[in-house]
Parts: sequence; structure tokens; C-alpha cells
Amino acid sequence: MTTSSTELTVGRPRRGSIGSILESVAALIERRRLVWYLTISEVRTKGTNSLLGNIWWFLDPALQLFIYFLLVNVLFHRSQPAILLFLGAAILPWKWFTAALTTATTAVRRREQVMRQIAFPHIVLPAASVLASVGNFLFALVPLGALYLLYPDRLTPWALAVFPVAVVQFLWTIPAVITLSALGVFFRDISNFIPHGLRIWFYLSPALFPIETLQAIGDRHPWFGVLVNANPFTWIFSGYRDALYHGRAPDWIPLGALALASIPAILLSIYLFRRASPLFVKVL
Amino acid sequence: MAQRTRSRTNGTPPPILLKGLGVQYDLRLSKKRKLRDTVLRDGRHAQSGKFWALREVDFTVAAGESVAVIGPNGAGKSTMLQVLAGILEPSVGTVEVRGKIATLLQLGAGFDPELNARENTLLVGEFLGVPHREMIRRLPAILEFADLGEFADAEVRTYSSGMRARLGFSVATSVEPDVLLLDEVLSTGDAAFIEKSRGRIMELMKRARAIVFVTHDLDSAANFCTRAIELDGGRIVADGPANRVIAAYKKKMAKRSTMAARSGQGVRRGS
Repeated sequence: MTTSSTELTVGRPRRGSIGSILESVAALIERRRLVWYLTISEVRTKGTNSLLGNIWWFLDPALQLFIYFLLVNVLFHRSQPAILLFLGAAILPWKWFTAALTTATTAVRRREQVMRQIAFPHIVLPAASVLASVGNFLFALVPLGALYLLYPDRLTPWALAVFPVAVVQFLWTIPAVITLSALGVFFRDISNFIPHGLRIWFYLSPALFPIETLQAIGDRHPWFGVLVNANPFTWIFSGYRDALYHGRAPDWIPLGALALASIPAILLSIYLFRRASPLFVKVL
Repeated sequence: MAQRTRSRTNGTPPPILLKGLGVQYDLRLSKKRKLRDTVLRDGRHAQSGKFWALREVDFTVAAGESVAVIGPNGAGKSTMLQVLAGILEPSVGTVEVRGKIATLLQLGAGFDPELNARENTLLVGEFLGVPHREMIRRLPAILEFADLGEFADAEVRTYSSGMRARLGFSVATSVEPDVLLLDEVLSTGDAAFIEKSRGRIMELMKRARAIVFVTHDLDSAANFCTRAIELDGGRIVADGPANRVIAAYKKKMAKRSTMAARSGQGVRRGS
């Protein structure tokens, strides 16, 4: 409405690194409603065209938890007290991360049509993808909460600490999704590679076993110890487990450090995305 | 640089200004690229080389002008519109477009099949960057013009292609643009809607400060436009009053087709 007929709408000069980051952030704020619409549409699509519809949001994590329970408890006889809660505290947040990364590779590519017809800041696409992935976490809280019916004595006020831990995970999901959404435009094979990469990462993280198991290997092979400590999910899973399973305060120092370290990663990913985005329409 | 262009047009900058514009496609980045090709860059797998879709284009549209862009397929006409719309960034040179832009490229872009007409209108409005309140205000008129009947509340995936095109047209033309970019959309939907949409486009053309119209329909181009440019191989090869440029282009095409007919054997073998 405020655009006057002589205001420059196409052809603003290209900006430097800080300028293009600020430009992207400003675009996200200005187009927040678009981000929200795209998020809703992505969340909704999951429920349609299936018999059980939106029940899958709860059923998916519950079934996955049950499968890992069978694997660990029945096949490997690796028993832990309150095993379902022990596993759920790590597996359900991990599912959020894998869902986010898997959809990220197509987050930009899928909107090929509209990108070719309308000029809009492309950063809204990965942004909506990140937000939609949070749905996975929020819905998984339901089966997770239900587990306390089995182990009522495990429930403490510290369970609320899942939220700050989830924020740390969210902060690292942002640069991962932004980067993958741009790479997915140029290299379609990325979508085939991601599930395998994630699986390796999963087994190198203390999800199915306590962190002590990994630390024991680390004591024998120092390089592995470095790897374990550098893995954000070592600290994120421990955080969830402290809050939900052990009923104690998470280790705030590594989590705080992770949160701080995510900031340069986010800025870098936004910058690289902005630099790559003029090529998207040409490649698609 | 900017100062010089400003002085030439008595203080107000022109709605459209292209200067030394070039758009280059890197064929190595083209579709269906595999990771393997990057890793094993031995030159045989990867298509090498670059391709200029537009090259050294200098082109100013003054207020009040409507310009037809003509030329054979692959001449760079659509690329030109995409650059003007801000969808493509130029590889070299500058592009400046001033004022609100409406693009009628392909109708129905941005629709989400799971949403209904109302929701999709708002969604596309957001893609276009129209303020939400403004879009809410326009909504009734948009739905009315699209004439969807009982389907207005149904998901867009249930629409016929004609209904989809009507809604797309209605949304795209709901803005009051300063710069109007058209890409052969006059022939969507059934006869009645073509008539109705023609009227709407005429209305927009009257109000817009500048129009760029890409078309193969030379007669309507000659009717609508004051000026025409001919593109060939990404360069401007003719620029002038619409009637003169279009007549010369027709003559050239006629000559080319008689030549093709004469060497008919060769053409057949080529295709």
C-alpha cells in the first residue's frame, strides 16, 4: 500500500555478508504470515490421504518406541529399569530431528512451481520446514507423557526441563535444515544419503544405551572419545534423560555452550542460503 | 550512472530500466544432476559450458509505454519477464523496476491443493507480498470474479483445470500494478471467461504505467502495444513502433518458412 510508483521493487543492489543476513532475517519477519501458512500446510498434509489421518502424529512415535523396545529388551536382553522411558527420552526427540532433516532436502525443491512464477524470499521455505518439524516433537510428548502411567515414581518437576533442552535441539535443527534445503536443490542424491547418515549418527549417540557405554569405548580409543564429546546429541540426549528419566537437573554448561555455538552456525547457513538462492530458479 | 538516467527522463526514473543485462545459465548445474558427476568430474559426464539466455540487453520502458516482446522460441522472452519480475537475478548488468508489479506468467502458481479457494487466495497473496489486511479486503471481489459457485469452499485439488486457471487469474489481477508483465495468458478457460479476462486485462493495461507483453500472437501484440522489441538468441535485434517491428518480423518469418519449404528434404531429416 505504501509502495509509491517510483519505488525500486526489483534490482536492489547486492549486499555484503552481514547485509544479506540482515535482509533474510528482515524478510522472515515481514513474511511471518507466509511462513506460518506454509507450516500449517505442511503439518496438515501429513494427516490427509490416510485412513487414520492425524492419529498418525501420535501413532508414529509410539510404534517406533515399541520397536526399539522389542529390539533392546527382548532381542538383546539389555535391561534397564524403566526401559521404555529410558528409550523414549532419546528416541522421540531423535525422531523430530530425522523428520526435520529428511523433509529439509525437498523443502525448496518442492516449491519449484511457485518459485518460477513469483519473486519471494526463498528463506521462508526452510523456515516453514523447521517450524513444521516441531510438530513431531509436540505430538511425541503425548506418548512420552503416557509412559509416566507405567512409571509414576519417575515423574519429577525436572521433567519440565525437556523444554530448554528441546530449544537447544531446535537451535541446531535450524542451520541443518537451511543448509540441506539448499543442497537438495543442487544434489538430488542428498535425500538418499540422509537416512543412512542419520542412522550412523544415531548409533554413535547414547540413544539405545547409556552414555557410559560410549565413554568406556572412548577410554580405550581417545579419538572416539573426542567424537563422542563433539557430538551435540551426546549432550542433548543426556539432557533429555536427566530431565525425564533420572529426574534431575540437566548438565547446563554443555547445553549452554551448544546453544551459543548454534548462533554462528545459524548465521552462516542463512548467509550461504542467500548466496545460493539466485541459482535456485535456474537449476530447478 | 543513476543520475544520468534520471536527468534524461525529467527527474522521474523510468518504470523499467535494463542496462548491459546478461543472464547466464551454467549447463553443468542443470537438472537431474547427480552427486557422482561432481565427484568424478571427468568432463564426459558433466555437460560443460555456459549459455547466455540474454546478452547485452539495453532497454528502457518509459511511463505510458506498452511493449510487446516477440521472437522465436528460445529467444529469451520468458527469461526477460522473469528478470523483470525479480524471479531471476541478472548475471551481469543492472535491472531496475519501479512500482508495484503484477505478473501474469502461469496461472495458479503457489496454490496448495489441500486448501480451499479462500485459503489459497490468502496464501498466494502472502507469496506476492500483499499486506494481509489488503488481501482480506480484496477477497470477496477475487472469489466473485473467479466464479467458482459451490466449489469456493472445496479444496483446490477437486477443481477442474479451468476453475484453477480462473482463480489464478483472479488473484493475479487483483493488484493494481504500476508495471504489468504478461505472458500469453489471454487464452485460459472457456470462451466466456476469455472475454471476461480480456476486459480485466484491458482495464489493468489502462491503469498501469508500463506493460511488457510476451506473445506469439502477433496481431494482438500489434493491437495492444505501442512498441515492440524482437529478441533473437538472447539479444535485441529490433526495437521500434509496434506496427513496424511486427510487420518486419512477419515478413522475416514468411521468408524463413518459404526457404524452409524449398529445402523441405533437409527440414524433414532434421526433425
